[in-house]
Amino acid sequence: MQTQKQLLIAGLVALTVAAAQAAGDAQKIVVDGSTTVGPIAKAFAEYYMKAHPDVNITVSESGSGNGAKGIINGSIDVGTMSRAMKTEELDAAKGKKRNPVQHIVAFDGIAAVVHPSNPVKNLSKDQLRDIYTGEINNWKKVGGPDLKIVVISRDTNSGTYETFQEKVTKSERVTDRAEYVGSNGAVRQRVQSTPGAIGYVGLAFTEGVKALTINEIEATTDNVISKKYPISRGLFMYTDGAPAAGTALADYVGLYKTADGKKLVGDQGYVPVQ
Amino acid sequence: MLRLGTRKLLDRSFTGLGVLSIALLTAALLILLAPMCLRGSGAYVFQGTVEFRRVLLEKFQRGDRDELQRELALVRRARQPVFDALAAFQKELAVMPVAQRRKIKPDFEQVHAAVKELLGPLPGAEVPLMMRGQYGQTRWDRAQVKIRKILFAEDYDFSGGGLGRKVLKPRAATFRGTALEPLFAYVEHHAVAMLAPRWTFYGRFLTDTSHDAHFFGGIGPEALGTLYLTLGAILFAVPMGVIAAIYLVEYARENRLVRLLRICISTLAGVPSIVFGLFGLAFFINTVHLSANKSVLVGALTLGLLILPTIIRASEEALRAVPEAYKQAALSLGAGHWRSVRTVILPAALPGILTGVIISMGRAAGETAPIIFTAAVSVGKPLTLLQTFTQPTPALPWNIYNLCSEHVAVDEIRHVQYGMVFTLVVLVLLLNLAAIIVRARISKGLRT
Amino acid sequence: MMNSAKSSLMLSRSANRNQRLARWFGEGFLLVVTSLSMLAVLFILIFIARDALPFFSWTHFKEFFVSTAWYPTQNPPSFGALSILFGSLLVTLGAALVAIPLGLTAAVCLSDVLPFRVRQTVKPVVEMLAAIPSVAYGFFALIVFAPALQEHGGPMLAWAFWLVVTPFLALTLLVLADLAAARFAENRQNLVRGLVFALLGAMAAWGLWKTGRRLHGLEISSGTNALNAAIILGIMALPTMVSVAEDALQAIGRDLRMASYALGATRAETLVRVVIPAAASGILAAAILAIMRAIGETMVVWMASGNAARIPEPWYNLLEPVRTLTATIAGDMGEADQSAGSAHYHVLFAMALVLLLFSLACNIVSERMIARTRRRLR
Repeated sequence: MQTQKQLLIAGLVALTVAAAQAAGDAQKIVVDGSTTVGPIAKAFAEYYMKAHPDVNITVSESGSGNGAKGIINGSIDVGTMSRAMKTEELDAAKGKKRNPVQHIVAFDGIAAVVHPSNPVKNLSKDQLRDIYTGEINNWKKVGGPDLKIVVISRDTNSGTYETFQEKVTKSERVTDRAEYVGSNGAVRQRVQSTPGAIGYVGLAFTEGVKALTINEIEATTDNVISKKYPISRGLFMYTDGAPAAGTALADYVGLYKTADGKKLVGDQGYVPVQ
Repeated sequence: MLRLGTRKLLDRSFTGLGVLSIALLTAALLILLAPMCLRGSGAYVFQGTVEFRRVLLEKFQRGDRDELQRELALVRRARQPVFDALAAFQKELAVMPVAQRRKIKPDFEQVHAAVKELLGPLPGAEVPLMMRGQYGQTRWDRAQVKIRKILFAEDYDFSGGGLGRKVLKPRAATFRGTALEPLFAYVEHHAVAMLAPRWTFYGRFLTDTSHDAHFFGGIGPEALGTLYLTLGAILFAVPMGVIAAIYLVEYARENRLVRLLRICISTLAGVPSIVFGLFGLAFFINTVHLSANKSVLVGALTLGLLILPTIIRASEEALRAVPEAYKQAALSLGAGHWRSVRTVILPAALPGILTGVIISMGRAAGETAPIIFTAAVSVGKPLTLLQTFTQPTPALPWNIYNLCSEHVAVDEIRHVQYGMVFTLVVLVLLLNLAAIIVRARISKGLRT
Repeated sequence: MMNSAKSSLMLSRSANRNQRLARWFGEGFLLVVTSLSMLAVLFILIFIARDALPFFSWTHFKEFFVSTAWYPTQNPPSFGALSILFGSLLVTLGAALVAIPLGLTAAVCLSDVLPFRVRQTVKPVVEMLAAIPSVAYGFFALIVFAPALQEHGGPMLAWAFWLVVTPFLALTLLVLADLAAARFAENRQNLVRGLVFALLGAMAAWGLWKTGRRLHGLEISSGTNALNAAIILGIMALPTMVSVAEDALQAIGRDLRMASYALGATRAETLVRVVIPAAASGILAAAILAIMRAIGETMVVWMASGNAARIPEPWYNLLEPVRTLTATIAGDMGEADQSAGSAHYHVLFAMALVLLLFSLACNIVSERMIARTRRRLR
């Protein structure tokens, strides 16, 4: 009994010492938002933390909507989004005395992808829209095999979904046959493992699947830069107010302007800002 | 009426049915565990190449520098013909007629990229910023996939109508007659010399930090996060739960309040785990503002609520199982109620309580839904103790989901996913095994 | 119990008072701590209901339960959750079909058929199945089971169908043949039995073969569907069913069984005609708890059920993707605007409320049943 008490006291003392030692470590940056911008945010975080080991940058990818939410609520430091903030979100931010400042960190295109064994190579924007609204539900109607189309879409959280809706389906509803997944990576995986599937992903996620040409225009970074590719968008990071110069936050968010940052963006398959 | 023979047959087949269902249960368990264990242990025990040892030395400062230099010299000599072939073909490409160049350039770029993936950046070339481009393949199994990518071009034959059939065209045929042709046979036969694979036991997979989105390194932050969350949950739930159980067993009278309490506790047991997560978000973060955003503290509290009913139930059972004789003996010796509980009944019930606690630890470690909104992030550094009050953390359950769906290069880190699942399942099963052992000790103790 | 007066064992008035106060405070403290768990339940109910009710006070209430159009971010949004409610129910039904028969037979086998030693080795198997975390099940469902269903779904289903149905049919036919033969004279019985069995057997074999071949040729276009989720959820709910049903069967006691054996029944007849009916409420409670487990599960359905807010055609077609309440909450919660209090946010809490109320109802019903079993046996 006596030794147990001693052990307990020793344990508590050790814990307090460890806690006291840890007291010095303070800096953190919380990043959340789009799964498209996620790889960029993670690459920036890794690059920055290598140079500044005392800063802890945590990155989550719960969707562009959540990135906006977090900035409005003040619960995160950087909100990554693959679409611009909507007017309702900006109003809500103003109501909570937040001032979202937009930083365009890269450009990206949305590629329509299918399984590599699918002979279809090109779709017009209208055909793509019809597939997603359910008008066309078999590949043979667009020149493919007699196979049911498995439509993969992104859930409502997603900036990619919003951009796709804005540019392709416009105000029409996506068919209720569509399977919803939560991220670019998940779309790519589903399409890669399902011969009849079609999905839409950012350009960085086209490994292992076949990107279709839309109206005969290929989904490449060059076509995105020249604005020839019809489904392109900017990728954003939002902060509450412009970060004060010299702080870790400003350095992290400003990485996209540096040469190294642009290389990181380009290496991942996105289009760095010129 | 049925014949006796038929009745006997029915009886036997009923027994057979029962045994069959047990067999199905066991088969289900084996089918579940087999791929996880086989491929998951592949995260810990695998054939690591010289690139893996380079990563260990340069990023984690582990390993014998001199021996690695020697190995690298050998490997570099083995790789030189490949680089020479590539350089020679570059020169050939420059003087090729335009039409031929346009046809063969995309294939060459594919080969070039595949060699870079396999061996790392070419000597003299610019070293990329992202870590995944700075090293070749660290695992021999992944290396073989890349070798196949070098040797064969994957194409689809659409001639038959319907879905295309995958066709592997040997690249040596495409580059016949050029300076690149010998590269393919060389790569095929000298891959071992170029990469020097060796069976490695990467035990530190459990504690190493991950680098470059889990391409390299281990699952240290996730394991630590799970540890923090589990211990935190236990810290909150066990005192509350044991005290509640003591009250319900020893002190409560059978009035309406106590019946309401019991109903509430069993209700808490039935709440779905996602509702706990929502409650944690709505109450601890949005209302009480325990932390500005997600944090380990809030996650631990939410998990603690989740396991509270289990602990109360297990403690109640353990306390009730203590023979009445113990209590009577203590009282007859002059001990008061509280003293008899504290010194006699509680210690006797301790093994049972411990069993419940251990099983709840397993539950808390494995639950995902409560921590999605309250504590878990995809990427982060391992936290120190003080940081857990305000910062979120990666955790094994959440990162398993994250890595197998959201990640940008899921196929490259397949071994990390399996490794995480394997680690989590082994952790939980070990905890349950410990609980079983403790329980076996109790039944032995009570029988004497 | 040290007292001030060393001569007598009785306490002084002050010491007595102090002791009574101490005991009163002590019990009060224990009561307060215990009530914290009651507070937790109340708070959960209050917070979920508080954020769910704003949705229900609008005209959305009818839409929620009647419409299948789930487009929460469209302009104008529509919150028809019928397809999602149906998805939850369909997947739970499938899980129940897997867990309840299998669990019941396993429980019966564990309690009555297996010798003690074997029982001690089988119980850990059930406990291990219960201990495996839900995300590991989800991982298996997405990474291993979904591709398997996509590539070999038809043959898997066909073989499972044959393996399960053939013994049952054979036994049923045997019983039928026996019953038919009983009407005839002694010397003709064997002949009649053989004829009936052969005839019915031929028809059954033909039916089995046709259905099997049809299943074999099934093309499963997407491996993340209701079947995937239902099977995995069934395996997750099995341990609950097995342990609670086994407790109910054990609680019956030996007297009833002994009486049945004494009257000449075989073990199978005892179990089927006497023991299981006697433990019926307990077994029903087990089934309800298993259903509760299945409907409240999040990770497996989020990863492997396809998340398509649609009622499959026909309604029992498990091979189509569905969306469940739990997956919708987990997936959509990030987007829903908490600060502005949008309808999207409130409808997710409404779903949580539905889940909570359903679990509560299941809980109350199963507790009543277990209490009834205990009362009957006292």
